[in-house]
Amino acid sequence: MVVEKKKKTINRLKSMYPLRAKVNETYLKSIEAIQAGKPAVWGMLNFYYGDPILKAMDIEVVYPENYGAIAAATGVAQQYLDRADAEGFPTHLCGYSLTTLGYASRMMKELNGQIPPEAPFGGMPKPLFLMASAAICDARYKWFQALGRYMDVPVWPLEAPIPGIKEFSIEGYYDKMVKLGIKHLRDFVTFVEGMVGKKMDWDRLDKTANLMIEVNRVWHEVNELRKARPCPMHSRDFWSAMPAALFLAGDLEDSLRLYQDMYKEVKDRINSHVGTIPEEKYRLVFAELPPWHSLAFFDKLAERGWNFVIESVGYHPPIPIDLSEVSDPLERITKFSLQFLVGYYEDARKQNVLGGTTAYPYLKYAKEWKCDGALLHPLISCRSASTHLPYVSDMLMEKLKVPSLSIEGDIVDLRLFNPEDALAKAEPFEETMEYYRKMRKQEGFDW
Amino acid sequence: MYFAGVDIGSTMTKVVLMDKSDNLLSAIKGPTGPEHRQLANEVMRQALEQANLQIDVISYIVATGYGRLNVPFADRQITELSCHARGVSSLFPNVRTAIDIGGQDAKCMKIDNGRLTSFVMNDKCAAGTGRFLEVTAATLGIGLEDMGDISLKATKRIQISNLCTIFAQQEVVALLSRGEKLENILAGLHDALANRIAALARRLGIEPDLVLTGGVAKNTGMVKAMKESLGCELFVPEEPLLTGALGAGILAKETYLKAVAEGEALPTKSRRLEKATFFSEGQR
Repeated sequence: MVVEKKKKTINRLKSMYPLRAKVNETYLKSIEAIQAGKPAVWGMLNFYYGDPILKAMDIEVVYPENYGAIAAATGVAQQYLDRADAEGFPTHLCGYSLTTLGYASRMMKELNGQIPPEAPFGGMPKPLFLMASAAICDARYKWFQALGRYMDVPVWPLEAPIPGIKEFSIEGYYDKMVKLGIKHLRDFVTFVEGMVGKKMDWDRLDKTANLMIEVNRVWHEVNELRKARPCPMHSRDFWSAMPAALFLAGDLEDSLRLYQDMYKEVKDRINSHVGTIPEEKYRLVFAELPPWHSLAFFDKLAERGWNFVIESVGYHPPIPIDLSEVSDPLERITKFSLQFLVGYYEDARKQNVLGGTTAYPYLKYAKEWKCDGALLHPLISCRSASTHLPYVSDMLMEKLKVPSLSIEGDIVDLRLFNPEDALAKAEPFEETMEYYRKMRKQEGFDW
Repeated sequence: MYFAGVDIGSTMTKVVLMDKSDNLLSAIKGPTGPEHRQLANEVMRQALEQANLQIDVISYIVATGYGRLNVPFADRQITELSCHARGVSSLFPNVRTAIDIGGQDAKCMKIDNGRLTSFVMNDKCAAGTGRFLEVTAATLGIGLEDMGDISLKATKRIQISNLCTIFAQQEVVALLSRGEKLENILAGLHDALANRIAALARRLGIEPDLVLTGGVAKNTGMVKAMKESLGCELFVPEEPLLTGALGAGILAKETYLKAVAEGEALPTKSRRLEKATFFSEGQR
């Protein structure tokens, strides 16, 4: 009997696949680097701050945070979570951190520094040092300190202070942040030079910084195209394609070409009026981090006509900023990274939305991408991706009459997410979205 | 012209039969049990008997609740949130907020003219549901139906610090061994549950009129605790378990009459009252 393969509801972009493959490539390169006696580093997602420096010095970087998501998506996270549990780490800590602490424990205590054979994408090799970052997430120092104890390697913490929206309007604040950032990066360069025993190639850093900015500009433009109706690109494609820009995965010139290809494919879909799902009944914004272990959940929602047209602000590139007149690459890198943190602040202050870096953008998203609803995913093990969500929900309703559906879960631990239960809420939420669609019309909104 | 609403909840199955003027002809409740696929037909049979009707005279049937997909004779399935909203509104036309505390979850709903406008649910943890009371009633060796009345005799309200149902159970045992009076412990348990659900409702935003439904609304101690925790008047239907089935029945009637008015052919299922099996879907 011939079994007909079920057609997937979400029409994935062809141009997404090579971008997704770049992540795999990054992990393999880090292993090759170690085998060839070259340095590899474990880095925390740092929002473009430390990465270009490592890239310009030919240091391969892998990201435990990203690896936690990969381990969850490939179904191997649970054994690392169990191992972290056995090590005595509280189960309510960040799921990414627990996964990689379990991984580090297995690698260092059980396998004498060898990569665990079950590790997906070839695994993360033992690093030369750890690059922590304080950007966005308050757990990151402690997580990397704990990893450092297993690895017995230095931990460099990248400082990334995030001002409040009101404080940011104090005269001179921005300039002081830039000065602090440049000084800190200069110290970091010195540290890295000492670790690898060679000097920074400043011309190369200059070129790397420019490429990083351009890659992210094109990626930003791709996402702007998603305002079209029907939306030509689903959040699943976004999550698959974003690591290449966010983590500067692989060769940046190659990434630039791939994002340009994606721009063209998305544009073609718009011109042909092709959406990413068969019938776009509802347009939704997703906040914040998805349940990596259960992404097929979004296919079920797509069958109901739910199109996720914008998402996860922390994974989006900064709003483009012209830095072509900035000659010092460290200053350019600092300003670009700051743009991620404060790029929405001026708009947010004008509208009196004081939720910091990650709250206001959802208001902009819902308004400009014309969303009917928001699916909020508060994480039981993550404060940074959860604490702003009630405020986001209130603001969306108060200012735009856009309702939210909140579904608790976790990024890694699938025991904390129940897709069936979540799907049971979809139907009544459609009634809610319909109701507020009428309310918006009555109040003069244009969607 | 007759209509039926079938609500298969996690603990109880409810059926109402009504005519086109919304007169209730029968209302039956029965425990859902583990095999609700085999129960809907039985509860429907009882309801028909009470109303002295045959199944084939029922014009349209709507099923709701967790087991709504397992009612082979239902013409349409509608979520319990929508049905509760409709049912509560038919009894309390000015309702704007409804709280339904069932055996498996607690739902807080905002309602506008019988329509659900938003909702929140406690569904990850038994501590905010009727299960919390069921477990502690069993621990204390008293009937679930007696808990509320006993708690009203409390001379002080013991604070239960554990939100987890299992740990709260242990705490209750420890309190009993310390010599605390049963009624005071029960008052504390009701407070703990009420405070948790009130917090959920506040998240949604409470607007009067406020109505409490679900099996837990039959508990007098819980109604008192909810009123105190919410700090506002609370209405309770005479039969708080039936609002979902009632809403399903009303929606059945509205769906049918709308189709008739628009000359639309409305598909209906076979009116055979048989047990649902895993093999019956393909035969219908």
